[in-house]
Amino acid sequence: MSDLSVSMSAAGGLPHAPVLPEAPPKVTVRNLNFYYGEHHALKNINLTLGANRVTAFIGPSGCGKSTLLRIFNRMYDLYPGQRATGQLMLDQTNILDGKLDLNLLRARVGMVFQKPTPFPMTIYENIAFGIRLYEKISKSEMDGRVEKALRGGALWNEVKDKLNASGLSLSGGQQQRLCIARTVAVRPEVILFDEPCSALDPISTAKVEELIQELSEDYTIAIVTHNMQQAARVSDKTAFMYLGELIEFDDTSKIFTSPTDRRTQDYITGRFG
Amino acid sequence: MAVQSDVIDDAGPYDRAKALSAFKLGDVTFYWITRLSAISVLLILGGIIISLIVGAFPAMKEFGVSFLWTQRWAPSADPPVLGALGPMYGTLVTSFIAMLIAIPVGLGIAIFLTELCPQWLRRPIGMAIELLAGIPSIIYGMWGFFVLGPFLANTFQPFMIKIFDGVPVLGAIFAGPPSYLSLFNAALILAIMVLPFITSISVDVFKTVPPVLKEAAYGVGCTTWEVVRSVVIPYTRVGVIGGVMLALGRALGETMAVTFIIGNSFRISSSIFAPGTTISAAIASEFAESDGLHQSGLILLGLLLFVLTFFVLAAARLMLMRLEKKAGN
Repeated sequence: MSDLSVSMSAAGGLPHAPVLPEAPPKVTVRNLNFYYGEHHALKNINLTLGANRVTAFIGPSGCGKSTLLRIFNRMYDLYPGQRATGQLMLDQTNILDGKLDLNLLRARVGMVFQKPTPFPMTIYENIAFGIRLYEKISKSEMDGRVEKALRGGALWNEVKDKLNASGLSLSGGQQQRLCIARTVAVRPEVILFDEPCSALDPISTAKVEELIQELSEDYTIAIVTHNMQQAARVSDKTAFMYLGELIEFDDTSKIFTSPTDRRTQDYITGRFG
Repeated sequence: MAVQSDVIDDAGPYDRAKALSAFKLGDVTFYWITRLSAISVLLILGGIIISLIVGAFPAMKEFGVSFLWTQRWAPSADPPVLGALGPMYGTLVTSFIAMLIAIPVGLGIAIFLTELCPQWLRRPIGMAIELLAGIPSIIYGMWGFFVLGPFLANTFQPFMIKIFDGVPVLGAIFAGPPSYLSLFNAALILAIMVLPFITSISVDVFKTVPPVLKEAAYGVGCTTWEVVRSVVIPYTRVGVIGGVMLALGRALGETMAVTFIIGNSFRISSSIFAPGTTISAAIASEFAESDGLHQSGLILLGLLLFVLTFFVLAAARLMLMRLEKKAGN
């Protein structure tokens, strides 16, 4: 099956997993609009992220998929002139609520970026740093948490002998897994991946994809990707976006085998984008 | 026609070779110009050191190493007694206090400008910082003498003296009476003078932090303070320390403003509100009317400042290297 998914064409291939039963919603997006100053970047988005499911966002560059992802943890708040309207519920919390504690939100909704972003400190500290923000725990407890997080990031065996080396000394793929481990260490509920493999070689990519699969047992995952095979391989649901609109949102197998919208079909068969 | 083409054929290769050799000559000239420029730095540095040593030799012979720990400075006594302890102490203390004030304030301004400041306020503050760097030091000196000195002596100094009266150690550091001319006033002026160095260099290096790295830190739930402390400053520490070193170098050697407001007293007092002197202030205020052994003593002071600056900068380098090691690089 995995051989098939590697060699399949974007249009005809079958995703690896059978269609899972519908999951209870973890994140619900209703009538979401987003503006960069005057520019209307997202238009009336409605969708749900199922709990413990992987949802992929695909679409040509500039379609707004990364923008949507950055709303889930209010990252856009760092920049003036960007605003969102509508409703975005994480369980019972409205993420767009102006009075929401952003630091708490970002602890619940972790994010992994396109480029690996290890902090300028040791490998151990990279993990312990996030934990220490929320919890006061003893050194031995911390050691345990760091090990667990690094195992969760499938990195433990490679770094266990050099935990005091700089995070920047790792290879790109290892750095990215360190970032995933760091995100997991904070025990979020949702993890956002913004093109997590675009700076990685194929072997590292395979490792990260495998990791995403494993993480979906414990977390709700949203992933933006330009690589359609990747979306097909890792996700349960896929959303196709185009020019700021959500064109089609369905089970991944359905999107890649029998999309209903003409534009979705054109995109996944490589006719544009 | 045929003749003409012959000429061209002959001329072609000849001209090319000539052009090439001209290029080669240009290259060689260029190489030597850059090389001589680089060598001239070494020559100038060496020349300065040698002339300082030659000029300081009589004083070195007369006073020996005791020059370093003699506090008395009596050039007209018979025989004259000269000691560098007072100026050295003043130089180190004023620079230390100046950095103690300028580093947090300078970094604070830089953090505000890059992380927190609303867009419209950025330019005015940034320009004010640059203007601060452009003010000639003599103006700082006059301002310190006529405005800041009296102001501190009437407000801040009595306040501190009263608060710490009777407290061990601190009581001695902040001891009265208040004075227009003091180590502290000089240090404060120095702090203002070096502030732009620290701020503008820090702003420049803070801007080099990739936005995505900051987003990642915000992404695990950091507050702005935590992002700055744990990501921005560690990421840029080499640049920040470079700026601090530049500022320290300037503080150690600053002459004009300090000469105005430090009081030029060679006596060492435990209080930072007492007058003192620095090496450069001592040289500036006495060199014109000195001769013989006195002048040689002043040149020896200059040599000491040279050595002092060298050691401070070397120590800073060492600290930087240890920091790097600690960060695991």
